[in-house]
Amino acid sequence: MAYDDLRSYLEELGEQQQLLHVDEQVDPEPDLAAAANAAARLGENAPALYFDNVTGFTNARIALNAHGSWANHAVAMGLPTATSTKEQVEEFIRRWENFPVTPERRQDPPWSENVLEGEDVNLFDVLPLFRLNDGDGGFYLDKAAVVSRDPDEPDNFDKQNVGTYRLEVKGTDKLGMQPVPMHDIALHLGKAEQSDEDLPVAIALGNDPMISIVAGTPLGYDQSEYEMAGALRGTPAPIATAPLTGFDVPWGSEVVLEGVIEGRKREIEGPFGEFTGHYSGGRNMTVVRIDRISHRTDPIFESLYLGMPWTEIDYLIGPATCVPLHQQLRAEFPEVQAVNAMYTHGLLAIVSTKKRYGGFARAVGLRTMTTPHGLGYCKMVIVVDEDVDPFNLPQVMWALSSKVNAANDLVNLPNMSVLELDPGSQPPGISNKLVIDATTPVSPDNRGHYSQPVTDLPETGAWVEKLQNLMHGRS
Amino acid sequence: MGKEGFTPMCPRCAHESISKLAGSPVAGAWEVLQCQRCLYTWRTTEPDRRTKRDSYPEAFKMTQADIDNAPEVPAIPALRGRG
Ligand SMILES: [Zn+2]
Repeated sequence: MAYDDLRSYLEELGEQQQLLHVDEQVDPEPDLAAAANAAARLGENAPALYFDNVTGFTNARIALNAHGSWANHAVAMGLPTATSTKEQVEEFIRRWENFPVTPERRQDPPWSENVLEGEDVNLFDVLPLFRLNDGDGGFYLDKAAVVSRDPDEPDNFDKQNVGTYRLEVKGTDKLGMQPVPMHDIALHLGKAEQSDEDLPVAIALGNDPMISIVAGTPLGYDQSEYEMAGALRGTPAPIATAPLTGFDVPWGSEVVLEGVIEGRKREIEGPFGEFTGHYSGGRNMTVVRIDRISHRTDPIFESLYLGMPWTEIDYLIGPATCVPLHQQLRAEFPEVQAVNAMYTHGLLAIVSTKKRYGGFARAVGLRTMTTPHGLGYCKMVIVVDEDVDPFNLPQVMWALSSKVNAANDLVNLPNMSVLELDPGSQPPGISNKLVIDATTPVSPDNRGHYSQPVTDLPETGAWVEKLQNLMHGRS
Repeated sequence: MGKEGFTPMCPRCAHESISKLAGSPVAGAWEVLQCQRCLYTWRTTEPDRRTKRDSYPEAFKMTQADIDNAPEVPAIPALRGRG
């Protein structure tokens, strides 16, 4: 089923026993973040959390960990909660094939009920903001969909970008924003700043679960996130026109902020505990001025705890990282079988592939690094044979332990690009990258003694089924 | 900002110019304060490790030099046609 807003998603999570309503009074700090941190430690079926009794607030409604487990990710996809990770990724791939699905433009979005403009703009009046980690420089919006357009082609729908970038609340109408250089909004901002102009932005908070997923999906520059959301939902994504910028924003959002990234301005921001499991240091980052706030009556504030993996963000962007890499690799190399890039947003990726000839597997590994996402991630790519499941880590470890000879199977590339948040990069943004070829060498690469592999017996498949039936009391 | 006999100080950079960003909807429960130099922002009810200079972790302390030398992300590009 498709959800048109956050509220209907939370309702369904409740129906599926995947939403925990905490009605006792809690403090904004450290309780909210500690609870979300704890949810991430509950494992693969952890619930979303909902708080509405927070010290000092009269009307706070806070949702956390909405995508923070495989069970929740399944509900977001409209799948049974028990659907395996691999099956969720495979379903994601199947739906991706339906791209593009034209969005449905709707009138009267619920967020148009209340408007704050000019002197009345005050983020603290609308959002129950709170800190996540001890060293964070302030309170963050870290699950927003930020909409921007290419200043050279403002009417090009496909080049309109919807992405999630961390936003630090630095004033009643001021945010700090981190546009990663590899992301589309950085291209938009670069063009605006070259012309000495501000870059208008619309920031949608509290969205249906598929918007949050596509906003974290590395699509091509001219691929619309809304058209992808439609494909993944199985029905057109409902959008509406933001009144100040004219940009397309989700129809169902809880809150829509509009304003500009102020051109050629940078200001101290951070640190912030990041998805790498490390804080980014303090950096001078872009400044967003908010000129208009539109919001539902009694909006729900959705936030995401992130810290030492795994936390919600890993579930949110895991499949969404695997699938574009899979599709982009398959476009040129149909031999590619599966991609698991769920580790630290794809800083490490595992690719299984058939081999055309000796040396082919490492070429697949190199190509992974030159995909749009790979340019900023994919610091390590492990390439395994077609019969190794990249989602089955014991199998991957078997491939690494038995198929790799360090003399020839490591391709170490100096001074490659990586996102500067990678704590190992030196200088920040530059790192060696490594392909580990853990495939069986094929001709003419006749190395090693691999001619006598032990494979499962031909009868094993039938026996798996037989044993399973016996275990379940069937004959 | 400071109450009598209390000099407000940024826990992170020890700057003494602090402003109030927000107050609690329930009167008197807390305030959100902000340092006017390093922009560190905190709620008055947070644990000491986030609100008191002498409890603030060394690893997160910041100086004027740290601010001056912080990298620009992303770098500001040359102006079109002039660069
Ligand atoms: Zn300070």
